[in-house]
Amino acid sequence: MTAIDTAIRAAAAEIALIGVTKSYDAKNTIIPPIDVTLRPGEFTVVLGPSGCGKSTLLQMIAGLERVSAGRIVIGGREVQDLEPKHRGCAMVFQNYALYPHMTVAENMAYSLKVSGVSKAERAERVGTVAKMLGLADYLTRKPSQLSGGQRQRVAIGRAIIREPGVLLFDEPLSNLDAQLRHDMRVELAELHRRIGATSVFVTHDQVEAMTLADRILILNKGHIEQFDTPKAIYHNPASVFVAKFIGSPPMNILQVEGDGSVLRLADGQVVANYSGIGKFQLGIRPEDIAVNEGGSIKTEIRYREDLGSHEILETKIAEQNLRIAMPFGVEIDTTQTLSLSFPQARLHLFDGETGRAIANAFGDAHSASVKEYQ
Amino acid sequence: MVENARSINIAASILLAIGILYIVGPLYLTLSTASQSYEYMLRNGLAWVPGTELFANMGKVIHDTRIPVQMLNSMIVAFSNALATCALSFLSAYAIVYFRIRWAGVAFALILATIMLPLDIRVITTYQVASNIFSPLNAVLDFTDLNSLIEMVFGSTVHLELSVLDTRFGLVAPLVAHGTGTFLFRQFFLTLPKDLFKAARMDGAGPIRFLIDILLPLARTSFASLFVLTFLSGWTQYLWPLVGASTPDMQTAVVGLARLVPDADGQVPDFPMIMAGAVLVSLVPLTMIALLQRFLVQGLVLSEK
Repeated sequence: MTAIDTAIRAAAAEIALIGVTKSYDAKNTIIPPIDVTLRPGEFTVVLGPSGCGKSTLLQMIAGLERVSAGRIVIGGREVQDLEPKHRGCAMVFQNYALYPHMTVAENMAYSLKVSGVSKAERAERVGTVAKMLGLADYLTRKPSQLSGGQRQRVAIGRAIIREPGVLLFDEPLSNLDAQLRHDMRVELAELHRRIGATSVFVTHDQVEAMTLADRILILNKGHIEQFDTPKAIYHNPASVFVAKFIGSPPMNILQVEGDGSVLRLADGQVVANYSGIGKFQLGIRPEDIAVNEGGSIKTEIRYREDLGSHEILETKIAEQNLRIAMPFGVEIDTTQTLSLSFPQARLHLFDGETGRAIANAFGDAHSASVKEYQ
Repeated sequence: MVENARSINIAASILLAIGILYIVGPLYLTLSTASQSYEYMLRNGLAWVPGTELFANMGKVIHDTRIPVQMLNSMIVAFSNALATCALSFLSAYAIVYFRIRWAGVAFALILATIMLPLDIRVITTYQVASNIFSPLNAVLDFTDLNSLIEMVFGSTVHLELSVLDTRFGLVAPLVAHGTGTFLFRQFFLTLPKDLFKAARMDGAGPIRFLIDILLPLARTSFASLFVLTFLSGWTQYLWPLVGASTPDMQTAVVGLARLVPDADGQVPDFPMIMAGAVLVSLVPLTMIALLQRFLVQGLVLSEK
């Protein structure tokens, strides 16, 4: 760890949300009571479709939105009634929200100026942060003279200069182009490693979530669908919602019916052995389907997409869409009927009504295979 | 269409020339009349040729009339009108855009409605209020029967009186509350990044700090343009200063100019002197426009460089 790192490194704080609720009126509940604890120094990504309440959650932690009920505890202090400046949080906004009339240095030093830090110390801390973010040559420029990536870096610099125990990110990368987004992702991961502040990162981009997070919190209409490590979420989705949300292309979900010994599709084809009775949803990832290895499930190709590294085959099975990902180099005759098999260890079973995962549905073989990933 | 360009050009030029003549003609006549003597005008009528008496006429205006005092009045009225309008519009727009107010939309609509009710329409009621600024309060007390209650308790009714007629405050106050400025600032605030307020709060700046440190410097050009526009309209106000101020020392220059025409019948007004006065009175707004015209344009296109 270099001298710069220790200069900026802050004491990471634990964040605990206890029964936190947000509603604008009796009918309009944005977030039903949520209980979750984020460990000190942990990088949590809050992932969900737009309108799921993830930004509201972040703003409640920041203090920009009031909680309707419940408590927020940061570093052992109850903060839900405190002003943002007393919570020890800093935030990076989606559209940067830099002050247009101030230079880069003034932008970063503004919070210090407001809290009455001396001019000399301000200049010193701006210098340190600017060096860390590669902004040292741009300190006298205005935000309008910077590129998107540089602006984002200034916004990050403005947030970390106060050495906050908690760093909040509100979709900070969604205004950048694809290449820059990738670069900033790497930089953010690096920065988090060096600063060590407890970070909460809101996004709707699953790639950002998978690559940045220590743990991912998946929100759906304000509810926590799952809160776990990226690998666990990928290999053990807790619900159909999570299964469809993570992975590209997403997991295939097939409606099946159990008769006590096997699971059948609507057209009668047997897809797996299972002892349950009733309606179920069966999930399998496109890359896990075995093709032409003597499988018994028949399907025909409707469309193929060649992506270079792999190929996506769009097929239909019992009136339901099924995507298959084929690794590079496997030749498929598109005019032929495909025979598929679903490896039992790669199947996910969900309740037909609630969509919640049924644990260990196919025996221990499955969880064992997950274990080896973790 | 290309072959027609020449004839279109000629037609356009002629139209333009007519337009210029229409606007510049009276101006020229003002200047040429102002530079002739009263006797020349009596002998020749309209002065189409410029003379040499311009400064003599201006001297007459300065020494023999109240125009200098009235120009000072105009200056005070126009300046405080512009300043107060800017401050009021800025604050009201700030409240409407940045705070979650219950009836913000209705409040803004009501503020905008003042644009449709200029002073010229409500001049009589404004005069009534100005002659006693407590008259609305008195009316409320009478109407709600609160006064009889007060009479029961204290033995006499409440009737307050304070006239602001013939004061500079009375000349300025009715002009200040105007929706245009609020609209201008609101539109400008809406063009700013919407997370700016939140970012400032995260940085520890409260609403007042945000207003002074962030919003005010950003709104500089809007401020300047609104200031110039209201200053000009305040300087050229005619109807309200005419009824709001009755003594010559309190009247504004534009009203004073009109009063230079003698009331008595049959006497030919000293038009050269009046025109010289008009030129003198126009010098202030003219300088203002010349110096600050770039703000006029910038503020109206609402863009921050």
